[in-house]
Amino acid sequence: MLQLQFFLVVAAVLFCIGIYGLIVSRNAIRVLMSIELMLNAVNLNFMAFSNFVDSAMIRGQVFSVFVITVAAAEAAVGLAIVLGIYRNRATIDMESFNLLKW
Amino acid sequence: MPEAGRETGNRGMLAVDPPHLSWSSSPMDVFAPTGNLYAGAIWPEVVVTLTLLLVLVVDLVGGSAARKSLPALSIFGLIGALVTLVLQWQQPQLESFLGSFAADPISILFRGLVVGTAVLTVMMAERYIAQSGAPTGEFYVLLLTATLGGMFLSGATDLILVFVSLETLGIASYLMAGYTKRDPRSSEAALKYLLIGASSTAIFLYGMSLLYGLSGGQTKLEAIASSMGDAGLAGIIALVLCIGGIGFKLAAVPFHQWTPDVYEGSPTPVVAFLSVGSKAAGFALAVRFLATVFPAMTEEWRAVLSVLAILTMILGNVVAIAQTRLKRLLAYSSIGQAGFVLIGLVAGTEAGYASLIFYLMVYLVMNLGAFLCVTLFSLKTGTDEISEYSGLYQKDPFLTLCLSICLLSLGGLPPLAGFFGKLYLFWAGWQAGAYTLVLVGLVTSVISIYYYVRVVKTIVVKEPQEMSVSVQNYPETNWQAEGMQALRVGLVLTLVATIFAGILSNPLFTLSTQAVEQSPFLGFPTAQAFIPQSARLQVAVKGSLGSSAQTGEG
Amino acid sequence: MTLGEGVQLVTFVVLSAMAIGFALGVVWAPSIVYSGFLLGGVFLSMAGLYLLLNADFVAAAQVLIYVGAVNVLILFAIMLVNRRYTFAPLKLGWLRNGVTAVVCLGLFALLTAMALNTPWQLEPIQPTSSVLVMGGHFFREYLLPFELASVLLLMALIGAIVLARREFVIPQAGEGDLSLLERARPQLESESERQAELVSTR
Repeated sequence: MLQLQFFLVVAAVLFCIGIYGLIVSRNAIRVLMSIELMLNAVNLNFMAFSNFVDSAMIRGQVFSVFVITVAAAEAAVGLAIVLGIYRNRATIDMESFNLLKW
Repeated sequence: MPEAGRETGNRGMLAVDPPHLSWSSSPMDVFAPTGNLYAGAIWPEVVVTLTLLLVLVVDLVGGSAARKSLPALSIFGLIGALVTLVLQWQQPQLESFLGSFAADPISILFRGLVVGTAVLTVMMAERYIAQSGAPTGEFYVLLLTATLGGMFLSGATDLILVFVSLETLGIASYLMAGYTKRDPRSSEAALKYLLIGASSTAIFLYGMSLLYGLSGGQTKLEAIASSMGDAGLAGIIALVLCIGGIGFKLAAVPFHQWTPDVYEGSPTPVVAFLSVGSKAAGFALAVRFLATVFPAMTEEWRAVLSVLAILTMILGNVVAIAQTRLKRLLAYSSIGQAGFVLIGLVAGTEAGYASLIFYLMVYLVMNLGAFLCVTLFSLKTGTDEISEYSGLYQKDPFLTLCLSICLLSLGGLPPLAGFFGKLYLFWAGWQAGAYTLVLVGLVTSVISIYYYVRVVKTIVVKEPQEMSVSVQNYPETNWQAEGMQALRVGLVLTLVATIFAGILSNPLFTLSTQAVEQSPFLGFPTAQAFIPQSARLQVAVKGSLGSSAQTGEG
Repeated sequence: MTLGEGVQLVTFVVLSAMAIGFALGVVWAPSIVYSGFLLGGVFLSMAGLYLLLNADFVAAAQVLIYVGAVNVLILFAIMLVNRRYTFAPLKLGWLRNGVTAVVCLGLFALLTAMALNTPWQLEPIQPTSSVLVMGGHFFREYLLPFELASVLLLMALIGAIVLARREFVIPQAGEGDLSLLERARPQLESESERQAELVSTR
């Protein structure tokens, strides 16, 4: 029988992979993808709780629809910014973005 | 169907039936009206939204003459929103939209702070945007959207609204940070802000999902608190994750890494908005979220926040000493200022919250005043290097006066507004027993006086040969140019407010105390007791002031 | 265990193994293009997991929005900035990766312990029509975020276009060239000039 904990553990795995990718990746686009992974992990959490804890009102499903919406907007904005920085600097290596360090 | 409607319609707003939609019950229940939304609570937001759409349409169809009127249009809309906020003060709406938004006095004050910041930012931005050649209309659309997000964030009482408004504010801010898009610094600032912001939102969301699960499927902040019970480890983790998300908006150490880079790389008006408006919205979120959701863990979150406050005050103020550019100095100083404000939140008393709000009001005028001056100087000389300011006193006394007053007020010198703000904060913290915090605050504000005064000293240097190249070639101010009048109005407004908000602080302080008393979610008695209490505080503060305030008043 | 439960369990194991494997691939794949496609795999397996959780509408939304829009957008971006990068190796890069991995494993252990030890307030699962209930939610207590999301999307649309649009008429340097009014610090200037040369010689 499927249990809530199974899904929570999978979500935790995805979330930690997302954080790992966020810190380690040097390609700005891969960092954006890692953020998408984290958001998906959060969504899985919401869906699992929605099913096992709140199956009559399923507010978690509503929440994850909002998360999906906002994530799409954020991805579009993120890629616009990556394109902008690529035009200015001809690279998307995170390590080279240090103009502003002191 | 109409019958069902009438039946449920009379039950009032709280009677949202759980639509148990097993197929045996009528699916039509979903469509039954559910009572009053109390939509009047969001009049100010509606005004801002309409302004936003109007700006968009005028920018789209209007000619270049119409486009010149966009800043004025935005300012009028925002002032309209302020007026509706003032009207709302008479009749606060404690709950609206079926419990997802509150227009209680605290939310009204914070929304006022966000809108006020936006007004001054528009004044600052008009000339800056024109001179940098960036598209005009879209900037105001982004700014108004960010304002809208901040306003909703200040009153949100539901996790989903908190999330959506936080992201509205956030995404608009990322876009504004990268608005001067041909400048690598600006692109970098936007990218860093976006990546750190989006990941902090993801972390905050993880905390929210735990709250949702722990409370058995609630998204309203109050319902979460009442049905969460003793949450144990999961509660602690949720608290830490939520503080992480909120700390990013407050730029509290260690969630501050984005601040200096974003502040240096973004257009100055955007920096001004981020350092005041976005931060005020973040504080509104912090006050409401922590006080409503985690009343059972008050000890824990106060402990975490006091550590954050100490780190924030020390790091912000110490690193600011080493800065050579004024924008970056203001960035670090604004980190330090957020640390001072956190004292009020940690104190958690009536006086603590009231002094938090009061300090934010004062901080708004003095910080925006400083940014207006920085904007004006970089418009004319194209730099914000502190050494380039030397000798400005001889070329532009007006700018010198404004900048000096604002910086000294930020440093907390009497009798300026910042002094009273800090005094109230420290006083409230001391009364609540946060002695360490107050002592750290005192020491770091002495440090902050040092670096503010250093800038002022550079400006008023006497000898002509010490004048910097930029100041020697300082052009005459052409107040007739596009956007300069607005800048001047903003300068005068903030200057006057910074000078007088300190001396006439009583009404402002009464206002914030009243807001704290009358916002039920903080749990303070709504009786009339606030008058003697605040009067006592006033007396004590005035007494400890001594002669300096009297000379100021005279 | 009935047959249905067995099938569910097997499906769950397969889908979560796919999601985790693809996610690791996103982070570790040598080429960013592989990462992009593997991300699509993660999104699809997540949609499958949602179906196991009785969330048909969100599963469909996940496929349409994440796979259909976000993933395609990411692939577009990869192609627009398409160059084979050989990132200069960092000093002590392995150390950073190792420390990050350890921290993430610790975080994972913490989250797992929390998930397993917390007494969640479980309820018997009731079959509902998710579309109807969600529609009710959207136009009732979540009306405000629903409307605000429309403003958010409009703004993101406008902002993304403004930032991504190519300016064909580039003004002279100095006045109105879409850069910050503050001059860059000297070392920054030389740095960005070098970058600009890189762009022009490419």
